[in-house]
Amino acid sequence: MLWLCISLPQLPLEALRADAPDKALVVTACEGSTRWVICCNAQAERVNLRPAMNYTMALAIYPQVTALERKPGGEKAALDRLAAWGYQFSSTVIVADIPGKPDRARTAALWLEIGASLKLFGGFRKFIEHVEQELDLLEYSYQLGIAPTLEGAALLARAGIRVAITNVDALYKHIRSLPISTLLLPPNVAEQLDASGVRTLCVLLELPRDAVAKRFGTQIGNFLDRLMGRAADPRPIFELPARYHASFEFDLEIRSTEALLFPLQRMLREFAGFLRARDSGVQRFTLTLSHRQQAPTQLHIGLSTPDRNADRFFEVAREQLERVALAAPTIELVLSADQFASPTALQPDLFNAAFQEAETLSRTLDRMTARLGDSALHGLKPVAEHRPETSWTTAAFDARSAAPRFPPRPLWLLPEPRPLQLSALPSAISGPERIESGWWDSGDVQRDYFIVRTSSGADLWIFRDLSTDSWHLHGFWS
Amino acid sequence: MNRAEKLQELAQLCHVGRDGVAPPAVAPSTLPELDAALPGGGWHSGTIVELMPTETGIGELRLLMPALAQLTRSERYIALISPPFIPFAPALAQHGIRLERLLIVRTQKDTDTLWAFEQTLRCHSFGAVLAWPQQIKDREVRRLQLAAEAGRSIGFLYRSPAAAREASPAAMRLKLQARTNGGMDIEILKCRGGRSGISVHCAPHQNCAA
Repeated sequence: MLWLCISLPQLPLEALRADAPDKALVVTACEGSTRWVICCNAQAERVNLRPAMNYTMALAIYPQVTALERKPGGEKAALDRLAAWGYQFSSTVIVADIPGKPDRARTAALWLEIGASLKLFGGFRKFIEHVEQELDLLEYSYQLGIAPTLEGAALLARAGIRVAITNVDALYKHIRSLPISTLLLPPNVAEQLDASGVRTLCVLLELPRDAVAKRFGTQIGNFLDRLMGRAADPRPIFELPARYHASFEFDLEIRSTEALLFPLQRMLREFAGFLRARDSGVQRFTLTLSHRQQAPTQLHIGLSTPDRNADRFFEVAREQLERVALAAPTIELVLSADQFASPTALQPDLFNAAFQEAETLSRTLDRMTARLGDSALHGLKPVAEHRPETSWTTAAFDARSAAPRFPPRPLWLLPEPRPLQLSALPSAISGPERIESGWWDSGDVQRDYFIVRTSSGADLWIFRDLSTDSWHLHGFWS
Repeated sequence: MNRAEKLQELAQLCHVGRDGVAPPAVAPSTLPELDAALPGGGWHSGTIVELMPTETGIGELRLLMPALAQLTRSERYIALISPPFIPFAPALAQHGIRLERLLIVRTQKDTDTLWAFEQTLRCHSFGAVLAWPQQIKDREVRRLQLAAEAGRSIGFLYRSPAAAREASPAAMRLKLQARTNGGMDIEILKCRGGRSGISVHCAPHQNCAA
């Protein structure tokens, strides 16, 4: 087994997605009666605020600081989305529990088993580059660690040791000089070790294992076994959900659709990762925008062909989002999909011009449908019916249809026949063509159709209704 | 190389342009009098053609049918944006249009009409796009002209006859007027690369009953 640990030190802040680069933002959490700073954005660090600082102290240093409350639920949701995304690289993904205590808040992590995937992605360097590229797109701050044990990979990631370690001996060499504090031991154990003069890992690891367990508790003994691969470390493996449901709760109410676009783009990228993991695509997905008082706004995003391209999703979703008038500020954004298309429809052939053409055509159609609505775009087909108004219908664009035979027909048809005031029978170019039909569906008509030319040279399609003896205009020979 | 050949080569070069783009594809109108007056003998891809019929029902659509039918047969799509009446499917089929290659776009307002016009023109899959906006400004015609060039499609823009008095950036502008004894007079107000200020008389094709 070879584990890649993705450590996410800024997750409490990034899960809130509230970063305002020009403001000093901190995420805080309470323990007992004390409020602690657990995460700072870059601006907050610039004004000398640090994680693990007492919030009262932070206020004293920089009174204008903006404090956000930590949301462990949001962190869990973000980690689950990332796990689904990570599934594209490995079928064994493990998610760490969200640390509850404020001083551990920066240790959120997930692991991917990569030993089996390296070859598939073309070797170590390529694989890591690929993962990093994707992570950069998702805009998470991350540190990577690679080791044969879960605890080892996590330790390397937290310590920022960017060396791929494939065996336990090499692991020992790289972690031996790390201070005990990097182990995140319970405070009483850490104090005990410190009092005994054990300050670095190598000292601890050189002590006999049984003595360590006896003096400092079995917990630390077991931890060292897991770290060095002397004991198994079974953990539940993340399972890819059958339906996709990713939610993002905003800390601040979002008033403009513009402000929704950034988190939306990130969500769609994670979604695309999930689809790659499943080796499938989607044709429809739903965005739900929740408001505090009003009923949620639902946007059904449809594509003309199944896809898993985040940019295409974004293009279409954005077009639709920009056209809805949001009744109230948004407090939560949910992306869900439950129907996935077979991957066979997705294999792009870069050398096939016809495929590319179809690709640009479907993108154009998607954009137009998103802006103009589902019913705005359609094809046409003739229907084998005598009455002109029922002898055509809208049809799905690009659908082949049978061509029934008709006598000559005008290119323009009026939606409703328009009554005409005619004193005498006009001189007809052609006609009459009698059309009688429809008694079976109560659309009974008896008409004589003529083509007539006006004094200015326009050709009209008119008919005399035999039941009322009145004249009507029904089309133009345009 | 004699003078005539040299001129021919220069003309070709002007057509091809600096970027070495292929000369535009031509879709013949199949009306001999009109094709004789159009440079290259037909409708050019990459242009906006303004059509200004004096009234409805004079053959202003039939005029385009042979070219549109040919485009749909050569695997390209055509789109009708915001048509003023129902494009009658049986009649379109009678004119040889492959209906599965025809897209109708319904819009509520002019901004959407022009936007959809531009989107379809830019898309290489569409060989020709017909649109009926209520109002259109010079600036918008210029945008459409660029979109048609980018997508190598023909944009047929229907305008009211009053527009004939104004200038326009469209590559071609035609005023259509019926003759009471049949056929129509096509006044070529503007024609990039051809003669303008002339008038041709032709008789657009009738439907062939399918």
